[in-house]
Amino acid sequence: MTVIRVGAAPEPFEATGLYFDGDTAVGDLAQLSVDEAARALVIARIGFAPLHWPLDDLRLLPDLGGKDLSILRLRDDPVARLILNDDLLLERLPDVRRPAPVTRRGRLVAWAVAAVASVALIITVLVPTMADQLAVYIPPEGERALGETTLNQIRSALDDTGMGQPVAFCEDPDGVAALARMQAHLAPGLPEGQQVSVHVLDHPMVNAFALPGGYIVFFRGMIEAAETPEEVAAVFAHEIGHVISRDPTRHALRSAGSIGVLGLLFGDFAGGAMVLFLTEQLIQATYSREAEAGADDFARALLLETGIDPAALGRFFDLLRAKYGERDGFFAHFASHPALSDRILAANVDLPAGFEAVPVLNDDEWQALRNICQ
Amino acid sequence: MPQTSAWERASPETGAPAPVSSPTPSMEIGTSSKNGGVWPPRGSFASPTPPAKLDTTFVGKHRSVFWLALKTGFLTVLTLGFYRFWMKTRLRRWYWSSTRPGGTPLEYVGDPWEKLLGFLIAVVILAFYIGVVNLALMFASFSLFQQNYAAYLVSFAGVIPLWFYAQYRGRRYVLARTRWRGVRFGVAPGAWGYVWRALMHWAITLLTLGLLWPRMTFYLEKYRIDRTYFGNARFTQGGRWTQLYHATIPMFIALALAGGAAGLIAAGQTATGSPIAVLAWMMAAYGYVHYRVVTFRILANHKTVGGVTFTANPRPFRILMITVLGYLATGLVLALPLGALGIGVMLVQFSQTEFMQDFGELGTMLALVPQPALIAIGIALYFAIFLLWATFTHAWVTMPVWRHYATTLTVQNPAALRQISQRARDEFEEAEGFAEALDVGASI
Repeated sequence: MTVIRVGAAPEPFEATGLYFDGDTAVGDLAQLSVDEAARALVIARIGFAPLHWPLDDLRLLPDLGGKDLSILRLRDDPVARLILNDDLLLERLPDVRRPAPVTRRGRLVAWAVAAVASVALIITVLVPTMADQLAVYIPPEGERALGETTLNQIRSALDDTGMGQPVAFCEDPDGVAALARMQAHLAPGLPEGQQVSVHVLDHPMVNAFALPGGYIVFFRGMIEAAETPEEVAAVFAHEIGHVISRDPTRHALRSAGSIGVLGLLFGDFAGGAMVLFLTEQLIQATYSREAEAGADDFARALLLETGIDPAALGRFFDLLRAKYGERDGFFAHFASHPALSDRILAANVDLPAGFEAVPVLNDDEWQALRNICQ
Repeated sequence: MPQTSAWERASPETGAPAPVSSPTPSMEIGTSSKNGGVWPPRGSFASPTPPAKLDTTFVGKHRSVFWLALKTGFLTVLTLGFYRFWMKTRLRRWYWSSTRPGGTPLEYVGDPWEKLLGFLIAVVILAFYIGVVNLALMFASFSLFQQNYAAYLVSFAGVIPLWFYAQYRGRRYVLARTRWRGVRFGVAPGAWGYVWRALMHWAITLLTLGLLWPRMTFYLEKYRIDRTYFGNARFTQGGRWTQLYHATIPMFIALALAGGAAGLIAAGQTATGSPIAVLAWMMAAYGYVHYRVVTFRILANHKTVGGVTFTANPRPFRILMITVLGYLATGLVLALPLGALGIGVMLVQFSQTEFMQDFGELGTMLALVPQPALIAIGIALYFAIFLLWATFTHAWVTMPVWRHYATTLTVQNPAALRQISQRARDEFEEAEGFAEALDVGASI
C-alpha cells in the first residue's frame, strides 16, 4: 500500500490521556499515539488490548469551561470519553468540531405540528367560541368591571413616556358638558337600561373604540380630525352599535384566553411585549364584517331617529380616507371590513320624507368639545 | 422505599469488580497541566495508593461565561426566544465542564432539540389549561366578584401542584443528562409523590407559622435524594430533621430584634426602635441566606452514595456578599449607559410633540427622526436591558456562587468509586418541558 502525503510528514504524536470506558467510575491511564497509516488514534492501556479510534470519527465536546483539557468522544459511542491536556492532536482531526446529528427528527416535527395546531385551534376556534357564548351570560356589573379593567390596561399601555403613567382623560368642564349633551342627544335611541360612559383620552391617535359595559372612548386625534359635531356623533353612534351587540365583551374575553397561551409559547422573556401587543389588538379591534356592518346599520337608524343626517358618517370616512388612505394603521378599526369605500357608499342613504335635521351642538359647545383636552 | 421495579432492573448489580489495572513505571505520569494541577489527576485512575479524598476545582473564568451568555442571549432575542433551548444547553455544558471533582470535569449531555421537543409536548398540554380554564375563570370572576383577582388567585392555586411536578421532572432530566467520569446520574420517577408531599409539608409549615420549616426542608430533600443515583449506586440522605434547627439561629435573632423594635416603637421610643428595626431586617436577609447555605452543608455532609461521602463547607456570609455585591455592580454598570440612552430617546420623543417648535434648530432636527425608528430604538433598549442584566448576573452572581459551592465540596473515600458502574440511559422524552413552560428553576 502506498501512502501519498502532501508536504512534510507530521510529527509523531505522543501523549498521556485518561480513558473512561463508560462503564466504571474509575479511569485508565492511556498512552496515546497516532497511527497515520490507519488514520486512527491508538489508545493503549495496561491489561487491555489497544483501542483504535478513527481520526475522522473523533468529536470534541463543545462549550468546555476550562481550555486546558480536551475531551474527546467517538461519534457513535455515547459514553466512552478520552481526556487529555494537549490540544495539538485537535489539528489532525478533520471533523472534530462537527455537531452531533439531530436524531428523531420525525417525532420532533410531529410534536411541533401538534403544538402549533393545538395553539391555533385553541386561539382561533375554542377560545372565540367560548367567549361568544360567555359574553351573553356575563351580568351587567361584571361586564362594567371587565370594561373598567380593560380601559385601565389600555391607558397604561398607551403611555409613551416610559414612566408607567396612564394616559390622562381630557376633563375640561365645558368640553365634558358638550360631550354629555351629545350623549343626551343620542340617548333616545338606546335600549332600556343600557349604560354608556364616554371618555376622551389625551392621545393624538385618530381613533375611537368601545369596551365592555358601555365604555366608549375617543382619542383627542379623532375629535381634532372631525370638521362638524355631526361627524363625531356619527362615530359615537357607530360605537354604541358595538356596545349593544356586545362585540367588545366578546373581544375582551377572547384576549383574556389568548394572552396566556401566546405568553406560554414565547417564554417569559417577551411577556411584557406580549401584553402590549394584545392591548394594541384591543384598541385596533378588528371585528368581523358582520359586526361592523351591524354597527353601521345601527348607527344609521339611530342617527335618523335623532335628527342627524347619516351622511355625516360617510363624509367623515371620506375625509379620513383622503387624509390617511385606505388601510392606515392609525385607522385600522374603521378601515377594517368592510373596506372603507363600501361603507361610504352604504352610509350615503336617501333621507326619508319629512326628515328634519336637528343640530347636535351649537358653535360654542362644539368649540368647547374641540378644546376638551386644554 | 421508592418503587424501583423496572428502574432497578436498568441498573446492573452493584459490586461487580472493576477491571484490575495498575500503572507501570513505563507510563509517564505526573506532568503538570496549564491549570497548575497534576496531569492526570491523582485518584482519577486506579492506583495502589489512591488519595483519601478528592477536592473539587472550578476552572471557568468570568470573561468566558460573560461572552457565552451574551452571545447566546443575543441569539435568543433575535429568534424570538427559540434559541433559549440552545442557550441553556450551552451554559450548562460550560458550568458542568468547569466543575472538576478530583480533577475530572462533570459533563452535561443534554440536547437542545430534546428540550424543544419536551417544550412542545408541554405546550400542547398546557395551552388547553391556560386558554380555556383561564377564560372560564376570568368570566366567573368578573360575573361573581366584579374583579379579576379571584381568577388570578384560583388560576395561581391550580398551577402550584404543576409547579412542584415540573420541579421534580426538571431535576430528573438534568441529572439524567449529567455524567462524571463517563457514568450517568439518574433519578427514579416519582413526581406525583413529590407533589402531594410538597403540598402537605407546605401546609404544615404555613400552619405552624414556619416553625416546622426545617422539617419540610429535610423530608423533601430526603425524598429527592433517596431517588437519586450515580451509576448503579443509590444516594441516601442520612441525618435527622432536627439537626437543621442549627441553621435557623440568625432567623431567631432577627425575630427577637424585630420584637424588641416593635416594643420600643409601641412604647413611643421611635428613635431607638427604628435603627433596631433596620438591623432586624438586615439580620433577616442574612438569616435567610444562612439558612439556605447551612442546611445545604448539613444535608450534604449526611449524603452517601455507594460508600462515598461528602464534606461541604460553603460560607453563608460569602454567599451573601457575592449576591449583594454582584447585583449592586450589575445595577451600577447598567444604570449609567442605559440611563443616558433612555434619556436621549425620551428627549427625541418629546421633541416630536407640538411643544417643541420653540427648541430651535436642534428641535427641528430631532423632530425629523421618523417614529418607527424611535419605536425600534425603544424596543431594542427594552431587550438590551434584559440581555445585559442576565449576562452580567451570570458573570458576577451565578458563576461566583456556583464556584464557591463547588470549591468547598470534597468527595471522601473515593476508593469506593471502583465498585460503581454504569446505569442505562433515561430516555425521558418530555425533558424539562413543563419546567420551561412554567418557568421553574432560575438562570440555568
